[in-house]
Amino acid sequence: MTTRSSPPVKRQPRLLCLPGVVALFFSGNVLAASCCGGGSSTSLVLPKFSQAMIDVSFDYESYNGFWKSDGNWAADPTGSDLKQYRLNLGYAQRLAPRWQASISAPYVWNQNQYASFERNTDGMGDAKLSIWYEQFDKIACVWKVKDWRDLIPAVYWGGTLTVPTGTSPYDDVTDNFDITGLGFYRLDANVLVDKTVYPWNATFSASYGKYLERPVNREYGAYVEPYDKQRGDRLNASLSFGYTYFTDNMESLTGTVAYSYLQEDEARIDGVIDTTSALRKRSIATTIAWATDDRDWVTKITWSHAPARDGWGKNFPATDVITIGVSHVLR
Amino acid sequence: MYCVKQWFGLVMALSLVGCGDLADDLNPSDHDQRPAVTAGTLGNQPGQLAVDFSLATSTATTFQLSNHLAGGSQPVDAVVLYFTMWCPICLAHSDHMFNSVIPQFQARGTVVYALVDYVSGSVVASRAAEMANGYAGSVFVTLVDDQRAVMDQFNAAMGSVIVIAADGTIVMNEDYRNGDALMTNLDALLP
Repeated sequence: MTTRSSPPVKRQPRLLCLPGVVALFFSGNVLAASCCGGGSSTSLVLPKFSQAMIDVSFDYESYNGFWKSDGNWAADPTGSDLKQYRLNLGYAQRLAPRWQASISAPYVWNQNQYASFERNTDGMGDAKLSIWYEQFDKIACVWKVKDWRDLIPAVYWGGTLTVPTGTSPYDDVTDNFDITGLGFYRLDANVLVDKTVYPWNATFSASYGKYLERPVNREYGAYVEPYDKQRGDRLNASLSFGYTYFTDNMESLTGTVAYSYLQEDEARIDGVIDTTSALRKRSIATTIAWATDDRDWVTKITWSHAPARDGWGKNFPATDVITIGVSHVLR
Repeated sequence: MYCVKQWFGLVMALSLVGCGDLADDLNPSDHDQRPAVTAGTLGNQPGQLAVDFSLATSTATTFQLSNHLAGGSQPVDAVVLYFTMWCPICLAHSDHMFNSVIPQFQARGTVVYALVDYVSGSVVASRAAEMANGYAGSVFVTLVDDQRAVMDQFNAAMGSVIVIAADGTIVMNEDYRNGDALMTNLDALLP
């Protein structure tokens, strides 16, 4: 007599829920542009019950024209080829069961061919220090919704300080192509809402940031009569949806699509509004992430695309960003 | 795990301290460090006299600064030079100048408003950029600084605006910012 073996049943994965694989890198890929200041890093979010995380990623950003102040897209001058590369290092550390902190910093390479103008520079970008509070005690990722409590999302509240460690227009630089940072401190209030009902996931993240006013006594290397400048408040929001496929070994492959919106209000110079300064950008992104069965290693690639079409931005370059990164979670 | 964290912390710390010039932004200064200049000497600072220069325009004519100063063939009350690379910030500035500054002073004296194109590299490319961005036939004259000689002369950068009075004195040399300083200087210069 023979017995028929049972069909293989997939094990349920350890509930080491990553806060939306994309959300591991909160509010990323929205700032670059060597002509406009950039080189911002991302801030990290540590999965629940893990002690620390190391993250290394590399961005490749290519420029494809820009949006004028009326929102119409325009091509760069003939012969232009602008690129920025960023190596981002990040570290997150758990402070308490509900508290975590992180630091991230990029190193930036600008590769500029703008019409007949060619210039390649590099330097530190602006670093970020973040602290997060998790408004939940149990992992909020579920396989089945059995009652309404299973629908409660994981909510993170955070604060991020952007530190102007990059090279800004107010440093001893030759021109705008040297710039790798904005030159301003900024305080952001962050919220991240994440819900996973395997295999589906949805994440919403938003931050609202206020720049600190600073004195300026130099512009592009030339000393000027000192004045005070404050950039406008910055809003950054992102909504993403994902699907996770588990292999027989319970490794996971997650695909995510996201829509991001960035806007910055008008700056003030000695308290007077600078009507030439507000900016806006919308972009869409897709991510594929591979995680080991214990979720200790996550490798991912993201393509963020800002369509070179009227109405998708204002006063800002249209770019494509490809990010390849690895995160290692320390339990 | 401890070793990994230590190593990573060390790399992060080194990357932060390993680059110079950080203090300029971490602890920005409000001290006026402009060099002292002697009024009437040649140079690029406010109070100094602008050195004469000649550039091709995007329509293949020649623009010579001295022709537009007192005693020249086409004298004006002020010459305004704006350094552009046709980028979003540059266009926001030149649009602001076109829509808000120039109309305000239209009835007061005569001014040459020049866009100094330091990136196109040729008259043909500069003309194409001027047309693509909607400035062809406007009140602006586009100057082709293909060797970036005038840019160097004024120690200018993207968005720099230079105002030169009829006697050749530089009255302003700084970033355009919100255009207020340009309007203040034109208000003081123009009849």
